[in-house]
Amino acid sequence: MSSQGRVWLITGLAGVVLLAAIYFPFLRKRVRREARGGQQTEEQARRELIQQASAAAAEPKAKAKLFWAADPDDTSLIPVTVELPLSNDPVLRAKQVLNTLLAGPVDAELRTLPSDAELLAFYLLPDGTAIADFSENLATSTPSGIQSEQLAVDSIVRTLAANVPQVQRVRILIHGQEVETLAGHVDLMEPFVVNTPAVSSTSAPATNGTPEQPGAAAPATPAAQQPQTQAKPSAEPPATPQKP
Amino acid sequence: MRESDIVLDLAAQVRHSLESQGFQVVQTRTGNDNPSLDDRSGMANAQRGAVFVTLHVSSTGPPGTVRTYAMSDLAAPPANSGLIPWEFAQAPYLGLSHKLADEVQKQLALQFKGSPNATQLAAVRQLRTTAAPAIAVEISSVLIQDRADLDRMMPAVAEAIARGVAIFRPYYVTPSQVQP
Repeated sequence: MSSQGRVWLITGLAGVVLLAAIYFPFLRKRVRREARGGQQTEEQARRELIQQASAAAAEPKAKAKLFWAADPDDTSLIPVTVELPLSNDPVLRAKQVLNTLLAGPVDAELRTLPSDAELLAFYLLPDGTAIADFSENLATSTPSGIQSEQLAVDSIVRTLAANVPQVQRVRILIHGQEVETLAGHVDLMEPFVVNTPAVSSTSAPATNGTPEQPGAAAPATPAAQQPQTQAKPSAEPPATPQKP
Repeated sequence: MRESDIVLDLAAQVRHSLESQGFQVVQTRTGNDNPSLDDRSGMANAQRGAVFVTLHVSSTGPPGTVRTYAMSDLAAPPANSGLIPWEFAQAPYLGLSHKLADEVQKQLALQFKGSPNATQLAAVRQLRTTAAPAIAVEISSVLIQDRADLDRMMPAVAEAIARGVAIFRPYYVTPSQVQP
């Protein structure tokens, strides 16, 4: 390398060192600020939890009905009465019962929801539609299958129906998103109607947010009740559904 | 064990049993492709006078049992415009679907001890958009250690489904319109 090249190299390196020296105090300040911010967020979260816990502790204990599996191999749910400090505020109350449902029964085999699932948020709209937003684990850890997915949904819907009378419908989100199914089978695109006879066995999906009208959607004269007309199938099939 | 592989084998046996009863069978998949739920419904909705059977193997439930599901009740479509909205496709067929499920489950309960005698209701996404009598049949369970146990169940499951569909056949009168 020529002596001129060496001079340029040394000058360049010196410039880099100078720039680094100037930038370093700013970088240090920024790192400290970020660290302080992180601590504040953790501190805020801790404070919120303590506030919730102390608020809950201040609430009078009441009997809550939670729906867990009747038997490890059973498809049915049974109500279990648990004494909890329950808020009069429907949103807080819903969070309290859902978090207890997620915590699970004494016998872990009777769980209906995965142990690693969390309730991220809960909203109650003025028309009685509840939006329960769960962590992704609800979808990924619920065993895939119609039986297990329906049991999970039913336990959520029936627990809300039994403890929060303001809830008329329940919409389940996964990590803030609408998803087509819970784990491949049960429909989560429509809200589930509560406070109806259907909820006592299986939560029925609604459509367009309208309250369920039991039996309204079934054909008025089901063919099954008119076997005498069997030999004459209708010439007019129903109109083809319109795919969105 | 993968559910999709087991189901494909079961579907082949169900097909054979249904064809033996004189039915024409269209499968929504014959290989490891994975059509969307809407595409599967679309295939079924393009048929006339069809019934729709979706097959599943669960990872829960007492091993060696089988359950038949029909769609739980749907609310009425918003207005009768002559066209059925896609998400209401199953609504006019709910009564027929329950009848079909009842007949199939009766046959399955005879074959598999511990299976429920009655149809189960569930919000099965696949059934919602199907414009035909539609049921889901779910076997327990994919967690059986030895796949041979599931394989042994398949011929009887297939036969029971085919017998149930054959018994249902005389009751199948296509609903002419959506009831408000």
